[in-house]
Amino acid sequence: MNQIISTHNLSKRYDDTYRVINLNLSVCEGDIYGFLGPNGAGKSTTLKMILGLTKPTDGKVTVFGKDLEANRHFILSQTGSLIESPSYYGHLTGLENLRVVQKLRDVPDKNVEEVLKIVRLHKQKDKKVEHYSLGMKQRLGIAMALLSFPKLLILDEPTNGLDPAGIEEIRELIKSLPQRYEMTVLISSHLLSEIEQIATSVGIISDGVMVFQGSMESLKRKSNSTITIKTRNNKLAQELLFQKGYSPTLHGDFLVFENLTDEKIAQANRSLVASNIDVLRIEEHKKNLESIFLDITGKERSL
Amino acid sequence: MRAISLELYKLRHKRLLLMITLFMLVEIAWAFMAASMSISRNPNSAEWEVLIAMLSSMNGLFLPILTAICVSRICDMEHKGNTWKLLLTFSVKRSTLYAAKYISASIIMLAACLLQVLAITVFGFINGFKQPVPLILMIRFLTGTVLANMVIIALQQWVSMAVKNQAFALSLGMIGGFIGLAADLFPAGVRRVFVWSYYTGLSPITQSYANEKIQFIVRDMSSLLPGIVVLIAAGIAIYLAGCVHVSRQEV
Repeated sequence: MNQIISTHNLSKRYDDTYRVINLNLSVCEGDIYGFLGPNGAGKSTTLKMILGLTKPTDGKVTVFGKDLEANRHFILSQTGSLIESPSYYGHLTGLENLRVVQKLRDVPDKNVEEVLKIVRLHKQKDKKVEHYSLGMKQRLGIAMALLSFPKLLILDEPTNGLDPAGIEEIRELIKSLPQRYEMTVLISSHLLSEIEQIATSVGIISDGVMVFQGSMESLKRKSNSTITIKTRNNKLAQELLFQKGYSPTLHGDFLVFENLTDEKIAQANRSLVASNIDVLRIEEHKKNLESIFLDITGKERSL
Repeated sequence: MRAISLELYKLRHKRLLLMITLFMLVEIAWAFMAASMSISRNPNSAEWEVLIAMLSSMNGLFLPILTAICVSRICDMEHKGNTWKLLLTFSVKRSTLYAAKYISASIIMLAACLLQVLAITVFGFINGFKQPVPLILMIRFLTGTVLANMVIIALQQWVSMAVKNQAFALSLGMIGGFIGLAADLFPAGVRRVFVWSYYTGLSPITQSYANEKIQFIVRDMSSLLPGIVVLIAAGIAIYLAGCVHVSRQEV
């Protein structure tokens, strides 16, 4: 698959501290790439460097197979973006804001109508943006990014400040973009749950370092399940199952097993019942993505 | 051209022209009242010259403030809505944007100056001035005012773009207005340093007191030339310094 964005040892230093260190990010055509990391991990700095808003201290950015430095104009003409908080002219109406972008992008009127419909702002298009709610401003920002229906869309925390219904709406919209308009989407977030359902690839950054990059599937594979069994006599049950070749560990009231197939669980259950040990509970515990994310980033604090 | 028309488009709903017109009307009314009094006290003095001289000295007070407000309105919208980033991601060059804003502000302030010229002409006709409209004097007055304005726009734009808090730019405008008003009281060497003093400095008419009477003297063009050259050089330097400085700021 064609690589749309790739960075090579990208680094950015502010004063004496590195915000981004030797980052190698790779986004393929048609991907929805979830760029994850706790607050202050370096996501926005990376996206700004990809858009040429900030100069990297070191490293190289390639977009559409072209070097960013030398082809900035071409690359930006094919890229829509929403970085950090939405940008807008508060004294102008939603429609006039889009007209400003329309003039800059040199796109036809029908695009304006279409994006207004996509983000469902057509009824509020004549209202001044300073009177918009945060969610509406965010949607206007997305509309501005979409206006030229670019090949690449870069969205930095697009659901910030949205209510659950708004988040769901934006999520559905982003999900539909690759198929409907053949776009590649790079979306950053500090919430894995937000990305989980839409991203096809994931990159996780922590303290400026890429700690995981790969498909969503490979991230999910890290979520091994454990089986816990509670019996009337756990000690006896543990001894019995040891003899049968199992290796349970005792955690509180439960015996804990790693990587058990369904057949093995059934066998263990049969053995226990046959030995007159009452089985009270058999439970499966899946490690959720959020805890994998916390493990990977090594941060137990609020993300 | 597209960048300039876009800047003017972005000024919609700002009521900038209305504000400037009202501001100018207050100044013009004030200057003409003073001129009327002066003419009625000295019926033999040249009438058009009095009008131009009065407006020139009023401009020293009013135009720096008006320019500060106008430029601040044009620049502040980019700070308020965080739109620098937006424009840069559309591959707009910072120097183009800077130039477009400068030209837009200059066009608007030119309109204010033209309003003054129009007001002088209308006032002269209504009051039945004996001499015909002094075209050369009017052109010299307009050129001097526009030139001083353009340098002050460059200075104000630098401050308005570089410092987000517009109180700085507006304070500078007010300080400029004070200096512009008091410019004639400074020694010539000091006067030349302050860009705000050029409204009266480049005026084609100068006032002088002799035998307790005000006299309005038409200045020789050649005596103004060194001042014009210095002012243009200062304007270019301020514009370039501002453009380079603002272009290098992180967004």
